[in-house]
Order: sequence, then structure tokens, then C-alpha cells
Amino acid sequence: MAEKKYQRLTRERGSGVLGKLAISRSSLWLGDDHLLLVEGSGYSETYKRFFFRDIQVLTIHKIKSRLAWNLILAPLLALSAVIIAASSSDWPTKATIIVSSIVFIIFGIPLLLNNLLGPGCTGEIRTAVQTESLPSLSRIRRTQTIMNRIRPLIIAAQGQLTSEEVSARMRESAFTPAGDLESFSGEIPPVIS
Amino acid sequence: MSTLIQCPKCRATLLESIFNLHTLTPCPTCATPLQVEVFPALFRKIAPGQKAEEVLVEGESSCFYHAQKKAVRPCDGCGRFLCALCDCELNGQHFCPACLDVGRSKGKIKTLDNHRTRYDSIALALAVLSLITYFTFIIPVIAAVAALYVAIRYWNAPQSIVGRHRIRTILAIVLALIAIACMAGLIIAIATNK
Repeated sequence: MAEKKYQRLTRERGSGVLGKLAISRSSLWLGDDHLLLVEGSGYSETYKRFFFRDIQVLTIHKIKSRLAWNLILAPLLALSAVIIAASSSDWPTKATIIVSSIVFIIFGIPLLLNNLLGPGCTGEIRTAVQTESLPSLSRIRRTQTIMNRIRPLIIAAQGQLTSEEVSARMRESAFTPAGDLESFSGEIPPVIS
Repeated sequence: MSTLIQCPKCRATLLESIFNLHTLTPCPTCATPLQVEVFPALFRKIAPGQKAEEVLVEGESSCFYHAQKKAVRPCDGCGRFLCALCDCELNGQHFCPACLDVGRSKGKIKTLDNHRTRYDSIALALAVLSLITYFTFIIPVIAAVAALYVAIRYWNAPQSIVGRHRIRTILAIVLALIAIACMAGLIIAIATNK
């Protein structure tokens, strides 16, 4: 049996605004000293580990996934309601109640959940050698809960930076020369005229 | 990699005033609400790679792979002496390139294990296929036998590292056996009716 050393942070989800429909899916798990990004295509899984000591930047940004799902589900729900209302002259009959319940379950509940879960977002994680998208971070509220959970772990591994310290260090690094020219010891190639 | 941070939407360089605010703030360029958390690793200097030193004194320990280079430490996997060039550090352990390669391919070094085939899902998909295509006679038998083969052959194969149980494999075996039993029953029923 596989060791239970990972805690699930997010459910499986594809990338993009309509990520729930994607075949290639990813999920985020919390390990002892790292985050594990699991990317699966159904029959295989690829793992990417982001050690807390190596994480440089975590970014989340709002996307219009909630609006997209509302635009899909609301017209379908409205259309179904119109069809049910038009087809049943002596409302409410037993059949129309059953059909309306099924329609509400198929379109109404997802529409309700879509709005209850809050606005959509997607995330990115950056280390010294890569920037990876985290499509499983799909709702802002849930993502901020996850951020609040992993932030202390990263801070414990690296230390904390206030926004003022970040500003100071950014300015400092902006004035640092890009390359160490003194260490260049080769010959300068002649200019071909 | 530079210390500049870009907006994930418009790719414009972000101003540091919006970092580590722990709340969504609009991007100064595209106004997309975003939250940026910056950690000290962004400003950490990357240590340059070490050069392997030449063996200067007769009888000094040399690297197993480069006899002319001075050994700096033994490999934690095989114990061979390694020069600074061959010394690959991984989570506090030091390996030679050969041990690193073997550790990755055989799954001995857990942190290098980055791909797994989910045989349990394959077996389950085949078993479900055998039930769905029950009316076609030939496909369900092939699919059910294939599901049984995959489930039994890869029973001990490593599963997902995020804690999947054998429930899918067991379910695949049960469904495949049901499909085979149903098919056998159907064949017997047809044969007795004739």
C-alpha cells in the first residue's frame, strides 16, 4: 500500500476557464517539506515537487470561470424552464414536477454551487528554474485558505519578507550588475570589419 | 532567473508595492486582480558550480570517474570516490551520476520518482469496457481477459504516490469475472437451446 504521507490540498482539475471538462488534470498535495503537483491523464501520473526552501513566488490571479459557467448553465436552466412551462397546460402535474426536479438537479445545482464557491482563479508557482501553472487552484476563497496553510511552512523553511523588505531587495537587485565582468579572463574576439 | 515578477495575464513587470499584501490587488497594467507572495528564495544568490581540482600529490585519493581529479567525498549510494564535478547533491545526500540514474530508473530515490503508470485505472477501464460492450460477444471477452491480466500482472507494481488503494484493481477483477461469467452463461444458454 502506498504511504499516506501527502495531504490533499485541491481536487483534480484541468487548466483553463472550463477546466472541469479537461482530460489532462492536475491536483496539489502537501508533503512534509514540499508541495507535490500531480498531473494525470487518467492512466499515468507525473509528479512535480516544489520544496518549500526553493519556492520564490506564488501568484494567483482572478479568471472569469464563474462567469463562463454562469453563461453556460443559466441559459440552459432558463430554456428548460420555458420548455417545461410551455408543455404543461395544467401546472403542476406530477410529470412536470419530476421533470423540473431533474432539470434543477442537472443545471440548477451546478449553477448554485458555481456562485456559492465564489470567483475563479488560477495560480502559478515559481522556483529558480521553473514557473509552473497550478490549474487546480480554481476558486479564490479556497486558494487563499491553501495559501494561508502553506505560507507558514515556506516561511519556516526560508524566513519572512515584509512588503517593505521586498521593495528594498528588489531595488538592491536592480542596481546589481547583471554579470561579473571581472571574472572574464578570455580574449575578446576581434571585430570582423 | 531575474528577480522581476510579471503579471500572469498581461506579462507586464509588476511593481513591488503589490507584493506580500495577502489580498487581491489589481495589476497596474491590465487591472486583473492578483495576489503575489514573494519569498526570500527569490533573492538568494545561486552558488556557482565547483571546479574539480587536479591531483597534485602522489597517492592522493582521486575520483573513480576522473582519475586525474581530486576526490572530495564518497558516493552515498555506492561508496565510490567522487570529484567535485561528479558529486551530485540531492536533499543532503551525495550521489555519483550512475547511482542517481539507477535511483531514478528503479525508484530507489523517492524524490526522483516523477512518473507512474496507473495500472489499476487501466484494468478498471478494460473491465468496464467489457461490461459496456456486452452485446458484441467478442470485445467483452478480450477486454475482460485483458483486465484480469493487467490487474494480476501489475498487482505489485507501484501505485500512485498520493495514496491510492487497491480498490480499483479489486473492482476490475470482480467486474472482469462477472463479465466472463455472464458471457460463459450466455454461451451455455445458446448451446443448450440449440
